[in-house]
Amino acid sequence: MLKEKITIMNENGLHALPASRFVKQASKFSCNVLITKGDIEVNGKSIMGILTLACEKGSKVILACDGPDEKKAMGALRKILEGND
Amino acid sequence: MAREKIFKGIAVSGGIAQGTIFIYETKKVEVFQTPILSVYLKDETERFHSAIGKTEQDLLNIKQRINQEIGGNFAEFLDAQILMLNDKELLQMVRKKIFEEKKNAEYVYHKVISDYAKKLGESKDQYLRERVADIWDVATRVLRNLLGLTHSSIVDVPKDSIITAHDISPSEAALINPKTVLGIATEAGGRTSHTAITARALEIPAVLGIKELMEKIENGESVILDGDRGILIKNPSSGRVHSYKITIRKDRELAKELSPYCEMPSRTKDGRHIDISANIEFFSEYTHAKKYGAGGIGLFRTEFLYLTRRGNPTEEEQFRVYNALAQRMKPLPVIIRTYDLGGDKIFSEYHEANPFLGWRAIRVSLDEPDFFKMQLRAILRASVNKNVKIMFPMISTFEEIKRTNIIFEKTKKELRAKKIAFDDDIQVGIMVETPSAALLSPHLSQQVDFFSIGSNDLTQYTLAVDRGNEKISQLFDHFHPAVLQLIHSVIDTGHGAHIWVGLCGELAADPIAIPLLIGFGVDELSMNPASIPRAKMVLRSITITECEKIAQEALCFRTALEVKKYLRRAIHKNFPGIEKVIK
Repeated sequence: MLKEKITIMNENGLHALPASRFVKQASKFSCNVLITKGDIEVNGKSIMGILTLACEKGSKVILACDGPDEKKAMGALRKILEGND
Repeated sequence: MAREKIFKGIAVSGGIAQGTIFIYETKKVEVFQTPILSVYLKDETERFHSAIGKTEQDLLNIKQRINQEIGGNFAEFLDAQILMLNDKELLQMVRKKIFEEKKNAEYVYHKVISDYAKKLGESKDQYLRERVADIWDVATRVLRNLLGLTHSSIVDVPKDSIITAHDISPSEAALINPKTVLGIATEAGGRTSHTAITARALEIPAVLGIKELMEKIENGESVILDGDRGILIKNPSSGRVHSYKITIRKDRELAKELSPYCEMPSRTKDGRHIDISANIEFFSEYTHAKKYGAGGIGLFRTEFLYLTRRGNPTEEEQFRVYNALAQRMKPLPVIIRTYDLGGDKIFSEYHEANPFLGWRAIRVSLDEPDFFKMQLRAILRASVNKNVKIMFPMISTFEEIKRTNIIFEKTKKELRAKKIAFDDDIQVGIMVETPSAALLSPHLSQQVDFFSIGSNDLTQYTLAVDRGNEKISQLFDHFHPAVLQLIHSVIDTGHGAHIWVGLCGELAADPIAIPLLIGFGVDELSMNPASIPRAKMVLRSITITECEKIAQEALCFRTALEVKKYLRRAIHKNFPGIEKVIK
């Protein structure tokens, strides 16, 4: 399992549109994707989960990918969170 | 700071509220809870999944249309909505809960969505809070597909809202929650529309008939709704807010001053007892009736039983409501009026050009005897409490009351045969609300135990004014001399036939009208519960002798305006004490 601490740099925070890009991207991988903010952990393939995390720009989250394609997933998803996709 | 703007409408329910605009666009869905047998749980989840599938197709169709018509990335929000729709965690949770709770998919899905929406709604971030609208947008589509309908609900409204809509249908109005809704403003409707009746029943201000309101107002705007003057003020200035604060305080003081009258006997200064009773629409309103000191229920409208359920309630369902009401009000009387429904409310395929002159109320009941008898049985069974009276709406011919009485007697006979108990002495009355009934009252009085004058409809039919039509609603005036002459003659005729005569329209609660009606000799006044303390205060300040003189003179005028001017003068001269409750 890969784990990384990431600061959300996307201008609008991880809101509906970036969140939907994130979920769409995450769903392409077979590994499990988890996002943790504070003590709340949500499924990175669930838009409802991500929205309820309420990640504004500057929030710090832990992104965890666990599965055969975890390395590729981590690279692609980190980009979205950092606003570089 | 945005400029203040005032919209004028029809004042239909008094009081003042300061709140936030909530635009109601009739698109939410009511969700009912039904237990599901274990063997059908799998079917239920399949039903749920096919609704999700259908909703996805709907959303894709909309997206395609937007892409064609608008283009750009405008339809991108629909991608987010489709993700929300197909959210695996959410779908799994719903499936799991259907099995765990053994409840219908609508109920479970709605509950799960509500939890998400609540979490988001609590967010400090406005952008996220706005996503709640997206979630509900999607969820409403799913629920509609599950239910196979396009109905809407008004239940989920944020706190301190002024509900703003083009129109609110009766069954929707019935669902308005006074805990979150401070007031109502609509484009359609008039003084006696169901929205108005409901607003008064819930004791919240309402201003209806505001032209082009929906084009000029937006969700979340700060407003003052003045239900006394019939205006809605957008972006009120600080001076305005201040002066309203004073008015609100004064209203509270007057209410406080009037509150001891709730407990006082309803009789004139010279000792004549007059029944002051309550018009109610929902069972739960009996608490208002009691709180304000009603001498009984003068009118229990049964339409809502039908409308909120969207279908005919069974005899048992009706009986439970009528019986509970009779029990709670005992020993005070309860007058139950049979359905005053338009044919279009019962048979969806039925339409007519002019419903107020059409197939409605007793006309429908007489044409559908099985439907009618079900209601009669329920009322008769509740009459074992010995305080129930029955009343028939919209009688306009002698044959109608004859036929009604025949069906009523037949129903009694059938109950006797089945040894089902009811009150043999149950009083039967009719609403006198058509000019023909008023003019025929000498004959009709031979067939019944009481008359209740429905002054709203009597005014509408006498003056040929559709009270719901904003263009002519100013022509609707209870003080029109023609209306007053009919009221006067019905009371006289009733007394000549030794039956009692009440009045259950809005006129009954008008402090200017009370001395006049008492002068005519009315035995009972039935009104919105909150008006009762004021009516008692007026009643206790006036004397029969003076009122009779006033009534006699009031019948000599040519116009409603002259009548009203005269009544104000007469009150000023004879009973100055009640001027403070006249607006």
